[in-house]
Amino acid sequence: MTQNEMTDSEPGIDSQTTTTDEAASESLLGTTEIADDRGADAVSSAETVIETRDLNVYYDDVQALDDINMEIPENQVTALIGPSGCGKSTFLRCINRMNDLVDSARIEGELRFRGKNVYDDDVDPVALRRKIGMVFQHPNPFPKSIYDNVAYGLRVQNMDVDTDAVVEESLKKAALWDEVKDQLDRSALDLSGGQQQRLCIARAIAVDPEVILMDEPASALDPIATSKIEDLIDELAEEYTVVIVTHNMQQAARISNKTAVFLTGGELVEFDDTETIFENPEHQRVEDYITGKFG
Amino acid sequence: MATDEPSWYGEDSQVSQVRGRLFEAVCLTATSVGLVSVLVLLLYVARDAFRPFTGDPSWALTLPTFPVLGSITLVIPGWQLVFFVTLLLPITLLAVYYYRVDSPAGEVAYITTGLPIVGLLLAGSLFVIFAELFAVKAWFASVLSLAAAGAVIYGHRRLRSEAPLERLVLTVVVPIVFVLGVPPVSVARLVGLPKRVVSLQELILKLPYLPLPSLQLLSTLTLPVAAVAGWFVGQRRDSRTDGIRAAALVVAGGALGLLVEAVTGVAAPTWVIIYTVTAVPVAVYVEGIYRRNEGVSGLAFPVVLVGGTLFGVLTMRVLGFSGPASWLDWAYLTSAPNTTPELAGIYPALVGSVMILIVIIALTFPIGVGAALYLEEYAPSSGLAGKFVTLIEINIANLAGVPSVVYGLLGLGLFINRAHLPGGSVVVGGLTIGLLILPIIIISAQEAIDAVPDSLRQASYGMGATRWQTTRNVVLPEALPGIMTGTILGLGRAIGETAPLLLVGVAASVRLAPAGFFGKTGAMPRQIFAWAFEPKADFRYGVLAAGVVTLIAVLLVMNATAIIVRNKYQRDA
Repeated sequence: MTQNEMTDSEPGIDSQTTTTDEAASESLLGTTEIADDRGADAVSSAETVIETRDLNVYYDDVQALDDINMEIPENQVTALIGPSGCGKSTFLRCINRMNDLVDSARIEGELRFRGKNVYDDDVDPVALRRKIGMVFQHPNPFPKSIYDNVAYGLRVQNMDVDTDAVVEESLKKAALWDEVKDQLDRSALDLSGGQQQRLCIARAIAVDPEVILMDEPASALDPIATSKIEDLIDELAEEYTVVIVTHNMQQAARISNKTAVFLTGGELVEFDDTETIFENPEHQRVEDYITGKFG
Repeated sequence: MATDEPSWYGEDSQVSQVRGRLFEAVCLTATSVGLVSVLVLLLYVARDAFRPFTGDPSWALTLPTFPVLGSITLVIPGWQLVFFVTLLLPITLLAVYYYRVDSPAGEVAYITTGLPIVGLLLAGSLFVIFAELFAVKAWFASVLSLAAAGAVIYGHRRLRSEAPLERLVLTVVVPIVFVLGVPPVSVARLVGLPKRVVSLQELILKLPYLPLPSLQLLSTLTLPVAAVAGWFVGQRRDSRTDGIRAAALVVAGGALGLLVEAVTGVAAPTWVIIYTVTAVPVAVYVEGIYRRNEGVSGLAFPVVLVGGTLFGVLTMRVLGFSGPASWLDWAYLTSAPNTTPELAGIYPALVGSVMILIVIIALTFPIGVGAALYLEEYAPSSGLAGKFVTLIEINIANLAGVPSVVYGLLGLGLFINRAHLPGGSVVVGGLTIGLLILPIIIISAQEAIDAVPDSLRQASYGMGATRWQTTRNVVLPEALPGIMTGTILGLGRAIGETAPLLLVGVAASVRLAPAGFFGKTGAMPRQIFAWAFEPKADFRYGVLAAGVVTLIAVLLVMNATAIIVRNKYQRDA
């Protein structure tokens, strides 16, 4: 299994169908400790999708991010951890320019997606968000039917696809199909919190983005729903680049390949392979934070 | 335990609750005083309007002499007793039964009674519209032209799906050209241009042969309603065939009108209108109740209500009683003002008020909702521009509090003196009151839009939706119930406004309903105001009270609609 994953994370090799099968069997086994098995080789060999150069973000006069330099690898899970107010969510929202919606936000520096600075004048944030999907902290399905929720992105993006097939496929990938296949017309608000969050993930992957941003996707869920989401993230990493913000350090250790530690003041203190961060961090502050001495 | 120890649980009132109790009592008193005084006022008005204590005192019973009280003569007016037995007693018993035993049936009873009333009111407004505003054939031609315009737009969408701008232009232009011509009739009339291109609607009207009015109504009113009913039933039963059957049944029932006319003399268009807007919705609802088999006994309520009324009327005929000499009756609603109180009616003012309301809705709903959407969704919230927007918002709130007389002066100066619109016309009245309630509608719509959770907007943007797509697909549907409620409450205020009407020259009494939107109009509050200064007491008390009750009834119907709309959407969400 590890072998398979490693080849999958090599750029250029596209084996979607087998990947999905693998993913299915994986969830049947119910394994959760997969990420740790992923070797460092896979990490280093991946291509960089998102790259920041001296990224600074201010809300009015308050600095939220301070000179962030970071390279996020393709088809891997990158976790952003740190105490509240350290700017990790802000960073996440910079990637798909959701901060544009906040009038007081001001961004300096560069954030490159596939080599193109997304803050260039000729970049349409709407087009960018079609490449970079997002899942939020609280499940936020639209008050529409389950089907319409998943089909929403296809419709707003005018995608010329077989909607029924894409809805089914997305719900299957999000491990929700078996639970809702007979009630696609029901309101999404009737689902449980965990199901709603998986629906939001299905909705995000329906439009086939390259990157999925997740802002504490499991923080509002109970442990069982959380573990389902974690399994799912693991499977998603075979096809998508996942960037996830989390408060839960065990979660970061379980699911991510790389971890970035933000500390107060919007400073990126350390960014490395997850194993290194958790077992042998370079900075004392990071170790203090991870071991719970502060934060 | 020593007994002089104070108990921790406050039994010996070491916790002072006097002030709280006092506060509660004061609040309760204030509430009751307010409610009771309004209720008493309304009762007085209703008494003057309906005069329930007139009518035959048919049975005068002299009870046997009691030693202490002396002899008592009990006068029992006939009609009250008859209706007490045939109507009031049965429906009270039923209501008690629903309340205590079968509460789902209570809701069914409420809706099955309300639905026909709303349907009949709608049918009544359609009658008024067809009688005063719009000939049936003009309606027919307009609907056909609109359908043709829809077909053109749909065809364009199929053929050229990649031209959104073109489609937008087409969506705006084609209906106008098809229905109004180029330039549109009203613009041409205002500017004094001769019309160049004749609209499709006029072409249809000029056809040498048009179907019978009943057939026109059947095709343009019943057919769409049948389609909706069929779709609805099909959805509910999860069966296409059932839906098609239901739609066919609806059309067949409408067509029955042609037969009915021959047999009973009820005019076929009358049948078609009442059938389509009253009977069909009721039937669809009742079908659903039967299917779910929930609260079926509630259906008894309207039956008892109508049956009891008919039985009471019949009994009175048989026994030779006369009912109360109510000021408010059918003749009052359908006749013009008169110098004789008994002959006076409110019809022209009622029609005038409804037409003014139409102008108000056409003006304020798009502008108000558009402004609210801009302020909430598009306007900048920071920087210099943000400050400017805040200034605008504060001013809108202030405008909502400007006295209505001032708006009347504005209307007089702007629409009559500047724009030279005819004084006292429907348009001027509607525009003036429209300006008055516009801030109210903007504020309530803003609140409704503001209440849409931000997480939904973010979800939509996160999916790569544009701002317009987010507004249209997520924000508007969520905010619509709130917007509707606020708008209807604002319209409730509009229909009662009097001062602006005085200033823009709306006539005190008009004998004819306005001839079109540029014609002279009356209005209910204006008419009531005029009656209040009539020398004859019958005007000042009876006729005026009947007018007040009519006005309040219209208002209550509008508010009830607002509440129903809100509850319906809240339950669905």
